[in-house]
Amino acid sequence: MAAAAASDAQPQTGAHAAGVELRGATKRFVTPDGGAFTALRDFSLTIEPGQFCAVVGPTGCGKSTTLTLVSGLDRLSAGSVTVSGRPVSGITQGTSFMFQADALMPWKTVVANVMMGPLFHGLSKHEARARATDWLRRVGLAGFEDHHPHQLSGGMRKRVALAGALINEPSVLLMDEPFGALDVQTKAIMSNELLELWEQTKPTVIFVTHDLEEAIALADKVVVVTASPGTVKAVYDIDLPRPRGAVQEIRFGERFQELHHQIWGALREEVEHAYARTATAPGQEGLS
Amino acid sequence: MNPEPAPIQIPNDLNFIDPLDPLALGSGMSEADVVAADRARSRRERVIMWSARLAVFVLIFGGWQLFTAKSVGIVDPFFWGRPSGIVTALKNWFEHGTQFGSIWANILVTLKEAVLGFIFGVLAGMIAGIALGQSRFLSDVLNPYIKVVNAIPRIVLAALFTVAFGVGTESKIVTAGVLVFFGVFFNAYQGTREVDRNLIANARVLGAGRWQTNRHVVLPSAATWIIASLHVAFGFAIIGAVVGEVLGATQGLGLLIYSSMDTFQINGVFAGMALIAVIALTAEFLIAALEKRVLGWRPPSQTQSSGL
Repeated sequence: MAAAAASDAQPQTGAHAAGVELRGATKRFVTPDGGAFTALRDFSLTIEPGQFCAVVGPTGCGKSTTLTLVSGLDRLSAGSVTVSGRPVSGITQGTSFMFQADALMPWKTVVANVMMGPLFHGLSKHEARARATDWLRRVGLAGFEDHHPHQLSGGMRKRVALAGALINEPSVLLMDEPFGALDVQTKAIMSNELLELWEQTKPTVIFVTHDLEEAIALADKVVVVTASPGTVKAVYDIDLPRPRGAVQEIRFGERFQELHHQIWGALREEVEHAYARTATAPGQEGLS
Repeated sequence: MNPEPAPIQIPNDLNFIDPLDPLALGSGMSEADVVAADRARSRRERVIMWSARLAVFVLIFGGWQLFTAKSVGIVDPFFWGRPSGIVTALKNWFEHGTQFGSIWANILVTLKEAVLGFIFGVLAGMIAGIALGQSRFLSDVLNPYIKVVNAIPRIVLAALFTVAFGVGTESKIVTAGVLVFFGVFFNAYQGTREVDRNLIANARVLGAGRWQTNRHVVLPSAATWIIASLHVAFGFAIIGAVVGEVLGATQGLGLLIYSSMDTFQINGVFAGMALIAVIALTAEFLIAALEKRVLGWRPPSQTQSSGL
């Protein structure tokens, strides 16, 4: 908390990227049966302003929890989270969140979904609509303004969500396996577009995924999280040059293969660890 | 030795392609053919449906008219009324008025009571349902009281309100409102509790305050539940108004029915029922139109199936 006091007076809204720092972050939940569950333990990570940081780890390791802590949707049990030097309390200003599941309002048209952000920030309906229309054009959805989400394909819905997240010009963009539900080809296309859009405004990105290839192809920095309770196992700098170009091709490069091999070594242990636990848990209960 | 597999028998009628059978798709029909066949099928289905409806109507009212005829004499029209008598009673009311003033004035009174009760009940039910649906504390505190009030046969409340608010329209509006309230309340409560957490989180991160979250996420999401309850709720509103009128009133359809009953004019009772049915059907039509407008975003498969 003391470190957070040295905050600069820079406004957090707008396109200024913000640094994110988690220090000894711990999150405990009470499970439905009344027990306690530690999702994150002593999680420390510093992300520079404008950095694209991917967080990988086995299923259920608490990597998504880091995002809810940074966004202010959830509160820490111990430790501290700061965004551009300020401790997080309440919803963090200047963050946008792209959820794993569709978080579009099914009763709103595409343009009405995208214009929610500006509208909530007090822009007039007219202005908000104009900006939303512009953003829909940028994600390649011009002409679909008046469709409803259920009329779109999975990839198109993700574009709407992306436009809805970027329209607020966030300083931090939080993404929770945003393309996890897409087929491989659509996922590649969306990854390319994400990179293109990101390079225009360069917000800080925390991208949670379980797909290591996706993580390396997109990020400046890959963080491997241990099996639950999650904590940082290792951090790898990805020194692949930018702009990266087509995500589908970069993975055949030599440096990519090296990085993949190196990081997978660390990740594999955790995945196996997590898998072994889920596979044996019922059996152990039966024995004891 | 394994028995030889029997040769597959090809039934003769496989060669026959029913143009109205959607499953015959693969058998050489072009897209235009499929569309035309589907249209023809749905037109035929509609004709059959309306004919059947008409048949049911004729069966009920024709049978009623027939069995209550003097020459047949199976059912006594003194106790069971007669369709022709009901029409005469209606005609009488519209041409010569009733003993409590013109028929239109009576219809208007009942309509006013039901509609005002409906509006108050729906608003109160929505507000209370959404508030309790979002506050665990409030719902925990009020839960036993709501259960108790809900367990009281609410028609009994009509007697209480008639005493408290008099024989004017107020007591009926309150009765109708209370009946409507509970129907809407429970649905609004449930609808609010079932709102997708992700959508709320999304709106909050995008910068929505409490009111904006309610307006943009909770209310539209609960609307499916609330509107479903409106169909039943207007029926409750009419029940409240009519029962209130039966218990004591100076005008209204309930009073007409009650006084007809008192003077053994069964056709008058049925005539009142017919008028109420017309009001209820009109209201149902309007609510269905509202539903279509508010819930028009839903994929067609869901709205189509709501036949009743």
